[in-house]
Amino acid sequence: MAGFFSLLRRLYLSLYNWTVLFGWCQVLYFVLKTLNESGHQYVYNAAEKPLLYAQTAAVLEILHGLVGLVRSPVTATLPQISSRLFLVWGILWSFPETRSHVLVTSLLISWSITEIIRYSFFGFKETFGFTPSWLLWLRYSSFLVLYPTGISSEVGLIYIALPFIKASEKYCIRMPNKLNSSFDYFYAAIVAMGIYVPGSPHLYTYMLAQRKKALSKSKRE
Amino acid sequence: MKVTVVSRSGREVVKGGIELSDSATVADLQEAIHKRTKKYPSRQRLTLPVQPGSKERPVVLNYKKSLKDYTIGNSETLTVVFKDLGPQVSYRTLFFCEYLGPLLLYPVFYYLPVYQYFGYKGERVIHPVQTYALYYWCFHYAKRILETFFVHCFSHATSPLSNVFRNCAYYWTFGSYIAYYVNHPLYTPVNDLQMKIGFGFGILCQISNFYCHIILKNLRSPGGEGGYQIPRGFLFNIVTCANYTTEIYQWLGFNIATQTVAGYIFLVVATFIMTNWALAKHRRLKKLFDGKEGRPRYPRRWVILPPFL
Repeated sequence: MAGFFSLLRRLYLSLYNWTVLFGWCQVLYFVLKTLNESGHQYVYNAAEKPLLYAQTAAVLEILHGLVGLVRSPVTATLPQISSRLFLVWGILWSFPETRSHVLVTSLLISWSITEIIRYSFFGFKETFGFTPSWLLWLRYSSFLVLYPTGISSEVGLIYIALPFIKASEKYCIRMPNKLNSSFDYFYAAIVAMGIYVPGSPHLYTYMLAQRKKALSKSKRE
Repeated sequence: MKVTVVSRSGREVVKGGIELSDSATVADLQEAIHKRTKKYPSRQRLTLPVQPGSKERPVVLNYKKSLKDYTIGNSETLTVVFKDLGPQVSYRTLFFCEYLGPLLLYPVFYYLPVYQYFGYKGERVIHPVQTYALYYWCFHYAKRILETFFVHCFSHATSPLSNVFRNCAYYWTFGSYIAYYVNHPLYTPVNDLQMKIGFGFGILCQISNFYCHIILKNLRSPGGEGGYQIPRGFLFNIVTCANYTTEIYQWLGFNIATQTVAGYIFLVVATFIMTNWALAKHRRLKKLFDGKEGRPRYPRRWVILPPFL
């Protein structure tokens, strides 16, 4: 019985990882194709559908961590996925004015390359039980470049969206109301930008520690 | 008796060790360490050394015990591991600071024209419920401060200074957050009956909470010793942590009367925190009072929130 569930778990996680990998491959393909053919203004429109699906599917990873399917701590996945969902749905999807900016291109390229490497890594691990050493190295080295570019694009896009957020009343709750509550999306977005200040170095140092651990372990083997 | 004091890394904390009489207590040792290192007793954590690689938890020295209790056989020497806990404050100080903030900050939103800085010009109409909420709130935190000084008994233990900042951030932020919305110029009051039910129920719970604290205080009176005892009387016959129960319900009453999202968020967070404390206490009491070896059995009781938990 335990063996069956273990097999089922591996089958499910393999399916999940390869499927989302395919999604991110599509994103990268559409981004590069559109860049080549049309220019950065049209990148978002071309890649929108696979982006929304692939990034939103990452919510499942939080569930995987919670139910114990994988060992990664929720405290690591939750902030990262939350910030990405905020970008994808809260900024790009909600405020079309931001979609034509060049930072969308750097964002999507950074994200998709990172995710292609990551999901390949997990896909290999769950399906075949091992990962090639070059993939391990990529997994724990590409973030050195891609996290700074990705994070810069994220913060930049939030900043660019601020005037549009302020001009619209989207996602705002105003008083008076019976619940005596208010919410201002504009200031929430500013707070979100503020969270990147302590959040980014923390994530970066966490990944550096992971890198040290993983690569030194692989050398020993 | 010769005592060697080392840090966890093995470095000698007190050069040459400390010479004490054979009848010395741990407290005497701590005073001696204080003289030599400037680290006062409450920030010292003294343990017996553990074997390298051992998974065993180290034995923490009790300040009341004799040093002889920790030596092997008739040995004239003892080695202890010293850890500096950092600056410490008494629990009384901690509680006073965290409760003073809400007591002073809430009236600021009621009495002073702070909403001008949030873009609301002109006169602010004050509803009766806002006035009663002010009285209720100040009564609550004044009660807590008075209980801190005249009701609660605190053990020898102290609290790290960092907890002052953490706890004050929690209480002062939530206090301001709730005050902002309850006293807001665009505040929408509930109907009169709901207000009376909320405040009435809340006051009843506040008074019950006070009585629970009296019961807990009296639990410690005989002998003045620490140690755990089974609380009895009033709501403790039903709930392990009746003091937390009444605390939660009094905030529920406040929220029924004032009806703000901020207040309910605070209620949820406070309930979560206190539930964790209550579960830990309940577990501990059941473990201690298991009905074996002459010990009384812990009676069946709710933990904190009947009929849910």
